[in-house]
Amino acid sequence: MKLFTRYSRVNIIASVLALLAGSLAYYFSLHYFLIEQLDDTLKVEEAEILDHVRTKGTLPEPSSYRDQETSFALTDAPVTRAFHNIDRRSPRRHHNEIRTYRQLLFPVSVEGKVYAASVIKSEEETDDLLEMMMLITAGIILFLLILLFVAGRLLLRRIWRPFYDTLESIRRFNLSSHALFPARETNIDEFKSLDLAVGQMTQKIIRDYEMLKNFADDASHEMQTPLAIINSKLDLLIQDPALEEKHLRQLQAMYDAVSRLRQLNQSLLLLTKIENNQFTHADPVDLAPLLENKLTQLEDLIQNRQVRVHATLESCPLRVNAYLIDILLNNLLINAVRHNQHQGRLDIRLQDHVLRISNTGPVLSFGADVIFDRFTKGAHSDGTGLGLAIVRQICDNYGFALSYTYEDPLHVISIRFLP
Amino acid sequence: MIMKILIVEDEKVLSDSIHSYLQQEHFICDVAGSFRSALEKIESYDYDCILLDLNLQDGNGLELLKELKRNNKADGVLILSARNSLEDKIAGLQLGADDYLAKPFHLSELGARVSAIIRRRHSAGSNIIRLDDTLIDTQAHTVSVKGRLLDLTRKEYQLLLYFAYNKGRVISKNAIAEHLWAEDAGGPAGYDFIYTHIKNLRRKLIDAGSPDLIHSVYGMGYKLSL
Repeated sequence: MKLFTRYSRVNIIASVLALLAGSLAYYFSLHYFLIEQLDDTLKVEEAEILDHVRTKGTLPEPSSYRDQETSFALTDAPVTRAFHNIDRRSPRRHHNEIRTYRQLLFPVSVEGKVYAASVIKSEEETDDLLEMMMLITAGIILFLLILLFVAGRLLLRRIWRPFYDTLESIRRFNLSSHALFPARETNIDEFKSLDLAVGQMTQKIIRDYEMLKNFADDASHEMQTPLAIINSKLDLLIQDPALEEKHLRQLQAMYDAVSRLRQLNQSLLLLTKIENNQFTHADPVDLAPLLENKLTQLEDLIQNRQVRVHATLESCPLRVNAYLIDILLNNLLINAVRHNQHQGRLDIRLQDHVLRISNTGPVLSFGADVIFDRFTKGAHSDGTGLGLAIVRQICDNYGFALSYTYEDPLHVISIRFLP
Repeated sequence: MIMKILIVEDEKVLSDSIHSYLQQEHFICDVAGSFRSALEKIESYDYDCILLDLNLQDGNGLELLKELKRNNKADGVLILSARNSLEDKIAGLQLGADDYLAKPFHLSELGARVSAIIRRRHSAGSNIIRLDDTLIDTQAHTVSVKGRLLDLTRKEYQLLLYFAYNKGRVISKNAIAEHLWAEDAGGPAGYDFIYTHIKNLRRKLIDAGSPDLIHSVYGMGYKLSL
């Protein structure tokens, strides 16, 4: 749930509870106070009556004023002085409604006789006053709540704006775009800290990423130079006519080793770059003509092993990095030919965005589950063992499903492309 | 005609190798081992071809290229780079470099590229490479022996051209494979198809009346010599 909703919900409930409790306390204390006032008035009457009796020796006239009545009743039961709330029907004024009166009942003795004197006063005014005060209070409370709610809604939205802006910036953050984190204008401490922390974090991420990118390049560079030296010296060495066959055979082996090192180096570098998502550029390509081109490129290799190629290609448009796709097709096809048998078979089927490459060839000398791992090679393979690992990394990056199955006598690799 | 080449490379052993190799042709080579000395040399002289290593210790080769372009001397630049980075390649070619070669390379490959660049720049009349009776027309991409055109496949033509550029040098099978196929599409087993192509090429040349120019060197490579 949104922060504001939760905040205002809690706020409202707490406010309501507090105000409710307050109102109740307010009501009761007010009521008590007002009754006290009323009682004081009754006590004044009582004092006057007692005074009258004492000075004049007779009871005063019972009176019946607007909301006040005094009356006397002869009684022989003992009378305890006390305040009571009584309900009385008052036909004259209130249309036979029942009203509540506050009564002070006290004993008065006149000429040896005991009377129960009652002074009553209507609580109507009190009630009206109380009602008015509670209404006003309720009104204020309601007004307060509404005001708080509305102000909260408006203000909160504005106050949280920097936060939402920051959130949006984080969402749009792109490593390879090199855009630094925009600083926000805000004087709220928490948001300033948030911005600072996020800014620092993204700077560090960008720095680390650049270092990582450069490391892969630099490492490769460092390795290529000595390789270049060896290669060039070998090139010069073989010009010497004084060399004999046994020397040249050694040199050939060295050439091959340097070749392998170079390939290994390049493949590892490529793999690292693909893992680091350094190939973000995408072009619209169609796999069918690319595959045809590839087959033409590799025709020497294919003819050399006398592999029979059968290809059914349907158009397969994609939006991917052209360089990566070229490598993917290259590695897959070279793999299928190199690990084929002499005069073997190679079927290529591209349909419904699924590419199936099936080739004959010796049974795998390793488990099928590691075929796409780095450095998984057959016993007599002179490849780097990285060809399929690169294919897998490319597929992972784009979310293409890559799989291998053995359907005797064919090794089948299939990729499901996403348009 | 004597061609002047500038080798900008800070790895001394490597620049020595290149120097040795190129000197055997009619090339005079200057060597610049740093950004600064390269800058001095290109400001003082004109070169027919400049081999430019991008990763110099004291500067970026691309800056040199920009300087050359500013002085309209950007023709004939062959970029050598250990980075093999696509961005560098594109940047270099956009800045006017003629070609790009990734390290490590075979000297024969370097030789062929340098020759090609120099031919392009001094194209007045030198489209023809003469190997005794055999003429290679680099513009029409044809080969003729004693005036008669040969029917060569594209790969066979490229092979012959490669040999011609490195006349008199032993070229290893590896170098040939990398030149024709750019990738190592096979190990020792893969070199069989080189053998097939060369066999066909030799036969076609001999059938047309040319002497057998291509000699194999103890199964390690080949040499074209007159």
